[in-house]
Amino acid sequence: MARPTVLSYGPVSEHPGIFFEDLAVGQEFASPGRTVTEADIVIFAGLSGDYNVLHTDAEHMKSSIFGERIAHGLLGLSIEQGLASRGEPVAAHGLLVSLKWKFKGPIKIGDTIHVRSRIAALKDGPDARTGVVTVERELVNQVGEVVQEGETQHAVERRVS
Amino acid sequence: MRDAAAAPVQCYFEEVEVDVPLVTPGMTLTRAHVALFTGITGEIPSDPDLVPSLLPLSLSSGLGWRVPRPPLAVLAFMGFEWRFLLPIRVGDTIHSVSRTLTKRTMRDGGVIIEERKIVNQRDETVQAGKLTLLVARRPAA
Repeated sequence: MARPTVLSYGPVSEHPGIFFEDLAVGQEFASPGRTVTEADIVIFAGLSGDYNVLHTDAEHMKSSIFGERIAHGLLGLSIEQGLASRGEPVAAHGLLVSLKWKFKGPIKIGDTIHVRSRIAALKDGPDARTGVVTVERELVNQVGEVVQEGETQHAVERRVS
Repeated sequence: MRDAAAAPVQCYFEEVEVDVPLVTPGMTLTRAHVALFTGITGEIPSDPDLVPSLLPLSLSSGLGWRVPRPPLAVLAFMGFEWRFLLPIRVGDTIHSVSRTLTKRTMRDGGVIIEERKIVNQRDETVQAGKLTLLVARRPAA
């Protein structure tokens, strides 16, 4: 499968600010890719305190259906949010309000993942200064499998008229 | 002498009790947490004292190991719904409160739906949602 065009490899600060009015339903974005390493998993286990054998015991995992250690689901999602913030203005500038998320397949050490996202809905926010943007997201590995997917809602500032 | 690591002491599907609240110890959030987390995710924080949205939830999974119950024998985290209700800042102390809402037996284990909330030092619920987990059945002896 062809990789979609990547909008930006640069840091968030290089993005111009965006406003709710700049967004349209159907707009699509793609993030850069990132290779998930053993170090990512070890640091995430240390930070979170989640030492489940799924993520930490290579010998135990040899006999599991995965055959090896896998990344924490929340590590994949956290990397997803970081990647998205480099390719998509909503993730870079919006405030996360809620999410619905499914973990569909494992992320293994050495897998390279990227994010595909699409603006699914634009709604009025709780006040006149903000709008709420719904974004559909897929986290895709190097062979095109969707390993995680879901929907996030972000509060985005309106342009003051 | 044993030549294999001990099987981890775990809470299996059969032992999960519905509707029993589990309260974790607290954790004070520091700039070190924010730096380590943003180092992993690659998100560039706009404010070094603002705690990234997904960090408290990530910490709650480890805090969940420190309750008066062995760690849940999670085979897979299947999905979740989550709401980010209030901002969390460096210096805040969070803990998590969870309870199992439902249990459903499956072929390879059982699915549980867990309600979880993250609470700050002012007893405000800052984040909350429901998690769906596939949990192993107790292996035959």
